[in-house]
Amino acid sequence: MKKILLGAALISAVAMGSAQAHFQLLYTPEVMLDAPAEIDLKLVFGHPMENGHVMDMGEPEAFNVFFKGKSKDLLSTLKPITWKGPHNDAKAYEASYKVKRNGDYIFTFTPAPYLEEGEGVYIQQITKSFVNKAGLPTGWNEPVGLVTEIVPLNKPYQNYVGGTFTGQVLSEGKPAAGVECEIEYINPLVEMDANAFGKEAGPKPATAMVAITDANGMFTFGIPRAGNWGFACLGSGPAKEFNGKELSQDAVLWINATEFK
Amino acid sequence: MKLLGIAAVLGFAVASTSAFAHTPLCSCYDNGDGTVLCEGGFSDGSSASGVGVLVMDANGNTLLEGKMSEDSEFEFDKPDGDYKVVFDAGPGHAVEINGSDIVE
Repeated sequence: MKKILLGAALISAVAMGSAQAHFQLLYTPEVMLDAPAEIDLKLVFGHPMENGHVMDMGEPEAFNVFFKGKSKDLLSTLKPITWKGPHNDAKAYEASYKVKRNGDYIFTFTPAPYLEEGEGVYIQQITKSFVNKAGLPTGWNEPVGLVTEIVPLNKPYQNYVGGTFTGQVLSEGKPAAGVECEIEYINPLVEMDANAFGKEAGPKPATAMVAITDANGMFTFGIPRAGNWGFACLGSGPAKEFNGKELSQDAVLWINATEFK
Repeated sequence: MKLLGIAAVLGFAVASTSAFAHTPLCSCYDNGDGTVLCEGGFSDGSSASGVGVLVMDANGNTLLEGKMSEDSEFEFDKPDGDYKVVFDAGPGHAVEINGSDIVE
């Protein structure tokens, strides 16, 4: 009996492991602004659904904001910080950006590949997040030309619990079919001033939440809870190797959802 | 003169008929150099080019009137004293912004 129980414990431990998805955060708390504001962005690499370990992020390679089709290089505005996870600390970055004019601001971030030693593979998550000023849409649904990216088909900054979100995964501008997209949620409170995740976290799924892209590179997700949902479409990028090891070049996108009330 | 002004407003309303189904949006910024910049648009992303803009004093007298540019922008010299900006995209589609809310 004890042996069987131990076996069950091991199985559940394995299942738990598979639910720990790596996610690059590109986080700012207010994504729909009415008035000009200086916004703070936090760039953290961790397991936000599980509220698990945080990792030392890969060095930033590119950090841009796209506004009305024009790109602005923000790489030099990144400042290194130490992020406090519930169990450990890790190297992360922060930046601030002045939003003034009305429209869609698309922030994009590319870190250097991160060596996941347990699996012997590199992970590079090319990440997009959105901020809108004054409700004027100016291109949130347009690709910005990353080697791989998720193009939203619903406004990424305005989703509702009970609704759905659809994205299209592109690799070098072309739809990427059959890609596994892991779905993540920022479960703990993000403490902006303390550069920390809160200790408490809400419910988590038994295994990783996943959607597979169809022939047109599309996936759809029904939103069960208010907050920040992320999608990491694994290995959707064209680069497959780095430093002689396998590379998973992923497209990541973050959306916001609220209760419709 | 007043009649002409009203006619002009009506004209603008007609010009922006195609935007009636959408929510008008307008924001203004004090440029800090004695000028004010307003940008307009509609919630569906359509342009506000040609939409009428009025700048009024505290008593509702029109100080300035013009149209949103090709880039849906309108720039003007900041009036002395209290003022408001009216982005006039037709009946039920006007946005009023008080000068006191227009900051750098």
